[in-house]
Amino acid sequence: MPTLAAGLSVGEYIRSVMFRLAALIAVLLSAIWALDGQGYFWPAWAWLGLGVPLMLDRTASWAWRHPPGAVRRVACVWALVSVAAVILVLTWLLTWLLAGVQTFWPAWALLGLGTAGSAYSLFALHDRVLVAHGRRALRARVEALTRARREAVDAQAAELHRIERDLHDGAQARLVALTMQLGRAELRVEREPDLRLLIHDAQREAHRAIAELRDLARGIVPPLLADRGLLAAVESLAARYGLGTSIRSDMRRRLAPAVERAAYFVIAEALTNTAKHASAAHSWVQLSDEPGALVVVVGDDGRGGADPEGSGLAGLRARVEALDGSLRVLSPAGEGTVVEMGIPCV
Amino acid sequence: MIAEDLALLREGLVALLRENEVDVVAQVKDGPALLQAIAGHRPDLAIVDVRLPPTFSDEGLRAAIEARRRQPELGVLVLSQYVETAYANELIGENTGGIGYLLKERIGDVRAFLDALQRVAAGGTVLDRQVVTELLAARDGPRDALSSLTGREREVLELMAEGRSNTAIAESLFVTPGAVEKHITSIFAKLDLAACHDDHRRVLAVLLYLRVAH
Repeated sequence: MPTLAAGLSVGEYIRSVMFRLAALIAVLLSAIWALDGQGYFWPAWAWLGLGVPLMLDRTASWAWRHPPGAVRRVACVWALVSVAAVILVLTWLLTWLLAGVQTFWPAWALLGLGTAGSAYSLFALHDRVLVAHGRRALRARVEALTRARREAVDAQAAELHRIERDLHDGAQARLVALTMQLGRAELRVEREPDLRLLIHDAQREAHRAIAELRDLARGIVPPLLADRGLLAAVESLAARYGLGTSIRSDMRRRLAPAVERAAYFVIAEALTNTAKHASAAHSWVQLSDEPGALVVVVGDDGRGGADPEGSGLAGLRARVEALDGSLRVLSPAGEGTVVEMGIPCV
Repeated sequence: MIAEDLALLREGLVALLRENEVDVVAQVKDGPALLQAIAGHRPDLAIVDVRLPPTFSDEGLRAAIEARRRQPELGVLVLSQYVETAYANELIGENTGGIGYLLKERIGDVRAFLDALQRVAAGGTVLDRQVVTELLAARDGPRDALSSLTGREREVLELMAEGRSNTAIAESLFVTPGAVEKHITSIFAKLDLAACHDDHRRVLAVLLYLRVAH
């Protein structure tokens, strides 16, 4: 917008000139009335007439400050309504003061203006009000669901831990006690080969049961993960695969059991895939304890081409998404595979 | 001296040891009690469960390492329901003997178990064959000398890790001691290790090979 020497914009300059002109006319008319022998104070009507454009200017510029759309339209309507109402009230005031009119005749007109303005506002803004309400309700619902899911996942992790403990202290311990007793019995019947063989067989069955329970417990909560945390468990896992996997980590603390478990099983699956399919020369795992999230990257330089929607990876994605995390698999053919996982955690 | 939190196993183990003329001087349920009892009784050997109260994680392992640090002549046999090579490495650490790490179910083979106890008390090293299996599995690769071992040689290697003598290995594999001798010579040749006949040194040599190459 062009500006004048005084720093005012052209619009503001015209506005101030008009304001002064109006004031000058008002003073002039009042002077004429005073010189003309006074009597009926007719310049009041001129004042009112001069005031109307000024009021319109003020209210219009107020209304225009609102964001475009329904809100600005409603503001414009209310600007007009209020100018009309002021004109009505001032006119009544003058008829009362100058002509002694007793009744408040603008009452019905004001009521009509107010009703029309309100009706228009309601019509223009109803969906906006409803949407805002709906949005608030939706946000509250999402928060409640997120919290409930987190609690369910944590409860599940605690429950799995409890099952593992129960297996360890219950069935597994009883079977170990059983093998001890069988061992003692075996020593007492050394001279009876038939009986000894029978006890020996019973012991072998007990050993199989113990081994099965151990595998089961390992699948639920790998012992090293529960005891030592993610880094130690991943190191042991990598050693078991013998891929010479390099591990980098800045983990300094234990995370929620559900988060550690999810990360562990993602890394286990990724390394299994590397060992089985990738024919990679190098593989690596990176654990980063970033503010508010655990980020895990597992990569190899093998043949790539893994199907990101394969059943193993899909199962992992479900596990990670249950914790509000995300899983990304990049596996262009011939360029290795990178699995990236992020799980929010405090 | 026994540290085990589950009464069922503790009592079973005590009964088994007493029947076989092993004197059990104390039974405790957690790590701190173990350290206290060791100072009081100065036993030849402590049998310790890895998982003990209050944390039920690796409390027993840490107590065993600490007990050993305080009393270097103490034999320590750690029992567990699962095998972690990381724990075996920690336990052995700088120690040169008097260390054992076995799965709990090995107790069922009473003779072998008592034999292992004796070896650990006498300063030997006994590792569960599962440790060797896992270390071997970790090193499985086409370029590896270990892959040239036959199935039978692997079995012998695993039993060797338990610190067993040739005769004991022969008995458990139902072969003659001469055959075991041949397998061992072959294993050492394949792994390029200097042959030695001391059972204890043999375990360490094998273990060192597996860990260093690891």
